[in-house]
Amino acid sequence: MTAVEIPVEKWSGAVREVTLGSSYGGGTRTSTVTVGGETSLPFLGFEGALPHRPALAVEVVDMKPADWSPELVATWGDDLSDPANWAARAVEEGADLIALKLRSCHPDFGDRSATEARATVDRVLAAVGVPLIVYGPGTADKDNEVLVAVAEATKGEQLALGLCEEKNYRTIVAAALGNGHLVIAQTPIDVNLAKQLNILISDMRLPLERVLMDPNTGALGYGLEYTYSVMERLRLAALMGDAMTQQPMICTIGEESWRQKEGRAATDVPEAWGELAERGVAWEVTTAMTLLESGADILVLRHPGSVGVLREALDDLTKGA
Amino acid sequence: MSDAPATKARTAMASITFTPSGETIEVPLGTSLLDAVILCELDVPAPCAGQGRCGRCRVRVRAGDVERRSNAGLVSAEILDGWAVACQTYVTGSIEVEVPERRRETVRPHGHAIAEPESLPLTCDWRQDPAVRTFELDIEPPSLADNTSDFDRLRRALAQQHGIEEVRAELPMLRRLGKDLRMANWKVSVTLEMRDWVYDAYLPPRLIRIYPGAFRHASMGVAVDLGTTSVVAYLLDFATGRVVDSASAYNKQIACGDDVISRIIYAKRKRGLERLQHLAVETINDLLDELQKRNGIELYEIHEVTVAGNTTMTHLLLGLDPQYLRAEPYIPTISASPVLEAGELGLRANILAHVHVMPSVGSYVGGDITAGVISSGMFATDKLTLFIDIGTNGEMVLGTKDWLLSCACSAGPAFEGGGVGDGMRASPGAIEDVFIADDTLEPTFRTVDDAPAVGICGSGLIDLLGELFVTGLVDKSGHLDRSAPTDRVRVHDGVPEYVVCWAGEGGADHDIALTESDITGLIRAKAAIYAGFEVLCRSVGVDLADVEEILIGGAFGQYINIEKAIRIGLLPDQPVERFKFLGNTSAQGAYAALLCVNIRHDVLDVAAKMTYLELSADNSFMDEYTSALFLPHTDLSGFPSVLAALQKRGNGSDAPRATT
Amino acid sequence: MALTGLQIYKLLPKTNCKECGFPTCLAFAMKLAQKGTELDKCPYVDDEAKTALDAASAPPIKLVAIGAGERAFEIGNEIVLFRHEKTFYHQPGLVVRVKSDDPQLAEVAARVASYEVERVGMKLRLDGLAVEHAGGDAAAYAAAVAATRAAAPGLPLVLMSGDAAALDAALSGGAAADRPLVHAAAAANWQAMADVAKKHGCPLAIRAEAGDLAGLVDLSENVRGAGIEDLVLDPGTAGLAGDLVAFTQLRRLALKKGARALGFPLFADAGAPTWQAELARATQAIAKYAGVIIIDHLEPAAVYALLTLRQNVYTDPQKPIQVEPKLYEVGSAGPDSPVLITTNFSLTYFSVSGEVEGAGVPAWLLVADSDGQSVLTAWAAGKFDAEKIAKTVKDSGIESRIDHKKLVLPGHVAGLSGEVEEELPGWQIMVGPRDAVDIPNYLKNVWGA
Repeated sequence: MTAVEIPVEKWSGAVREVTLGSSYGGGTRTSTVTVGGETSLPFLGFEGALPHRPALAVEVVDMKPADWSPELVATWGDDLSDPANWAARAVEEGADLIALKLRSCHPDFGDRSATEARATVDRVLAAVGVPLIVYGPGTADKDNEVLVAVAEATKGEQLALGLCEEKNYRTIVAAALGNGHLVIAQTPIDVNLAKQLNILISDMRLPLERVLMDPNTGALGYGLEYTYSVMERLRLAALMGDAMTQQPMICTIGEESWRQKEGRAATDVPEAWGELAERGVAWEVTTAMTLLESGADILVLRHPGSVGVLREALDDLTKGA
Repeated sequence: MSDAPATKARTAMASITFTPSGETIEVPLGTSLLDAVILCELDVPAPCAGQGRCGRCRVRVRAGDVERRSNAGLVSAEILDGWAVACQTYVTGSIEVEVPERRRETVRPHGHAIAEPESLPLTCDWRQDPAVRTFELDIEPPSLADNTSDFDRLRRALAQQHGIEEVRAELPMLRRLGKDLRMANWKVSVTLEMRDWVYDAYLPPRLIRIYPGAFRHASMGVAVDLGTTSVVAYLLDFATGRVVDSASAYNKQIACGDDVISRIIYAKRKRGLERLQHLAVETINDLLDELQKRNGIELYEIHEVTVAGNTTMTHLLLGLDPQYLRAEPYIPTISASPVLEAGELGLRANILAHVHVMPSVGSYVGGDITAGVISSGMFATDKLTLFIDIGTNGEMVLGTKDWLLSCACSAGPAFEGGGVGDGMRASPGAIEDVFIADDTLEPTFRTVDDAPAVGICGSGLIDLLGELFVTGLVDKSGHLDRSAPTDRVRVHDGVPEYVVCWAGEGGADHDIALTESDITGLIRAKAAIYAGFEVLCRSVGVDLADVEEILIGGAFGQYINIEKAIRIGLLPDQPVERFKFLGNTSAQGAYAALLCVNIRHDVLDVAAKMTYLELSADNSFMDEYTSALFLPHTDLSGFPSVLAALQKRGNGSDAPRATT
Repeated sequence: MALTGLQIYKLLPKTNCKECGFPTCLAFAMKLAQKGTELDKCPYVDDEAKTALDAASAPPIKLVAIGAGERAFEIGNEIVLFRHEKTFYHQPGLVVRVKSDDPQLAEVAARVASYEVERVGMKLRLDGLAVEHAGGDAAAYAAAVAATRAAAPGLPLVLMSGDAAALDAALSGGAAADRPLVHAAAAANWQAMADVAKKHGCPLAIRAEAGDLAGLVDLSENVRGAGIEDLVLDPGTAGLAGDLVAFTQLRRLALKKGARALGFPLFADAGAPTWQAELARATQAIAKYAGVIIIDHLEPAAVYALLTLRQNVYTDPQKPIQVEPKLYEVGSAGPDSPVLITTNFSLTYFSVSGEVEGAGVPAWLLVADSDGQSVLTAWAAGKFDAEKIAKTVKDSGIESRIDHKKLVLPGHVAGLSGEVEEELPGWQIMVGPRDAVDIPNYLKNVWGA
């Protein structure tokens, strides 16, 4: 018998541990989610620690989405009209977290006030015990207004607030800093830009243990390979000890996969594409699995079927770790 | 492209009368006013070369109708008053057009330009091997017995009296030889060019001029740095090998575009290339006139000229079509120029004087860089050396005596004051040096010639950005802290800015300020250059820290404060003693080649040996560029001294004035 | 180990003779280092340098061809662990497994052979069929293989059987001409399997129990000793985590430790009871180093996803990142929606399309072919001029989909508007913002106004 010497990488760095949700000090969560802490490349338990398995979040929108895929509309049914019900159902389907989008606050989609946004967040918090990610409507001014109000009203809940971008990070970071929340730092598919935003946030003295980074997801067939390689490079840099890349990574898989034609079109597509019901889930699962392999720590999904498949895959991937 | 309107089968003509010159011209309908102005050789600035971007080619339509495609930069009152953007305005019928008098830029480029250019490369042994020499000859007059021809007679005398075995002469010289020799009664001085620029082939010395009697003239040469923005000429005395004087001026082509791309576009216009060539020659001629008058020499005593310039400039000087420089795969017409005579180029020197254009390496690494590599001596060193020429185009060369690798990165005109609201060239009144106090956030500054401040030049911009950064007024991504406790940070027309000099304090009629968009421009410019360093090093597998010497050349280089340039991440954070300023290396290289024969070999060698790395084909450049788009850099570990300075001032990893 | 450009340069003649087609020896050396040219191009390189350079450039993972003819595929020759370090070169073959006693064998084979889907101008297909020996004797297996070949002529095959006699029968029956992959030699039968593979000139898979890399090395030594050169390694299956560990270790051993015995492409059995679980397994196999991937489900949606993923992962990251130049519809654009034009540099495209989408104004986005350069770079290089813009508009067919004739140019090329008007008679040329972030404001306040 030949002895094979297994090459083991000795990494000097580790991904930071980040905890979402709190059940004390103002926090009312019945469960919390901790991600990060890896000292090896994804799922290579033989050369480092993988203390926390990646978490699955389900996206919930505060108004019935008008532009979602018919497959998603059919699957969620009436729950789409009520974010609290929707969130509760998502938890039943296996979500570790809820990612709540305050889309109705967008000036073009209802322009609801910060007060109304706070009420919605309260209702969802009351409906589920899992931690919350809260996304603003996606315009700088309104994001600032809404997220600051939500942050103040939910002090201590340890929400993850998004999106924090280079152009507007200051207000959201300050709101997180003052109220015990986390931020999600999003940058456009680039290692350096991701690192730069972490530096800027850290310069404001928000502990990096309260920062998730979103390297911006490209869906399967729509730039997935860029995201994949950027995440691999970020994770390698983190393990090699670059302190400004050691944030756990969150990927908005569902949003990106389901907005593509493959996730929406039921008719007038080539036969080789298969049926929409299978195709949508296949697109979401493939995007998700690929990014898990490159270091994703939180996946934000849309379809309960994908949650199930990925939960099983994660069981398998983290077996024995 | 730009003359398309005139070619689309519209043959109807219209006349344009220009005032105040009174000139009239017939043009096809659809001709742009800018083209008409060029045809009449009237002086209208066109920094963007007629792309409708800058709005500076203003003329006033006094009578008749025109078609206006754009009124960029004009307010409605001006339009009502007839003002029009010439390149965006087209002839639809006969008109009268007023071309405003131009306020001439009288300031010269920075006064220090007459720097000592006499640091010749070590290999330059001009006393042993001078490029131009004059010999006095006492020639045996002919007789019936000795009926050798005049030229052979002169050759014989040269061989016997000076050991010069071979000499050649061109037809214009031979045509007057018989008369010259007899008029001088067979006692003459002959000026010879000892070595031509023919690679690896021996050509005998060439007769340039015959003077009667003993040599009482001057034998001079001129080395020209033909820059995109400024042009410098050194006057050299071949007898002593010294530079006796220098002169500089702005390149007159500036009227046809600020940067090389704009000029290439301008060259596409009808007679555009012709005009550009003419302006280049005229700029050099003005300098030759000035040098000649000031030093009391005759034009025919200028026996040789060398010109170093970027590839676009040398193409334009020679009247070569520059279009293919700009389009992929970026190919110049020539790299080494043929031997030219001053007469055929229209330069005001001895008409037989050769004009040598320094050979280029690629479309964006020109003869100015070849000259720089020569004058820096890096082509003969064992040390790993990085040579940088910071200008509109940041060119750089990495290597040793064994290999040379070059690249060019488009930094834009920010370091020459262009594209920055209150930016200017380094002329009197330009803020060149700034300090901002930590506690009061008040600036103190110095201007060129201590004149009242009117703007900020490149070195001042670097200083100012560095100061704003270490005082925490600007964050690492270049955003101003609007909550800073000083009224100098304000939002003006929706853009945050820092006021360096209030209107009342300086010589400007407005507050001199640096805006957030100026800062973005500066960061982009410095990032392009720094990314160039990184890509150059990585492409051969060396580390920036392994570079033993960093040589800074170029006209602008000498004004950079290294510490502050490191602070904003323009230069690598290496010990100060590794940096060396070389001054105007382009002019110095042209001077060394002018003076010394063996340097001419080296020049050709260097140009042939230098490898050109095309960054547009290099994916890693974008990556390095993004990484450098940060103050000082995304990878802070590469900037330990900056990190230390930030920590010392308490601005390292916090934002004391963070907003909510 | 790979040499740097400078290390190679030192071995070259340094005469800058240009006969290789490069301007200098250094330029040639740098291109060699990137594996962008061949050493033979240099007429003057000496033998010593040649030996040194050849040793440095020998592929650490052998290139193995499976199948014969037009649909044959090659795997191996990989040189990196992560695609950003260089690129992944030879995409894995995606092979559908059928059982030899499956009554629908011929039908499945035909479906696999004809499956085709187009993406970004490329036709994506499945690569082969694996015929698994399930019941029956050697003759039955040979018949099943023959039936498969008849139903899917020319399609590469993997013959999966532990019975060397059955394989010999199938190969002797004509399958050898297709040069199928023989699967698999294990500790107990390697001699017989090697004999069959050698006899028919086929590549051979060797299989060890999961976790037994030493067993794989022994098998490799044995069958190579028996004269087999084209190997594929099957490290067994041990769930997603176990497989990932095994595949990673094998790739590292080959690339970083130069383990010749393990320098071969890898075989991944992604089969699982449901197509969803199988999709997860095959996704990991594509991302992480497989050379041949076996699936059991011919679910078109999953196959389409896997073929797309394979195309994505095996795209060369060093090439200018570009998107397909064409007309893109952002939101449900209609006849009155704005038309914006930009270049096909992917980041330009992503930021513009992202901002247009964020604006909530449905729009047509025309992407011109600028060889993947951004607007300003392309303009400077003459690749985004009036002519190109006009051609892009005309070729896109946008005119028939809108009821206006307004085109929004990027602000950076405002100066082209006059010329574009010339080239596109009847169109109104509008100048949009310079930066993508200002697009929402432009669309809401300028376009609509």
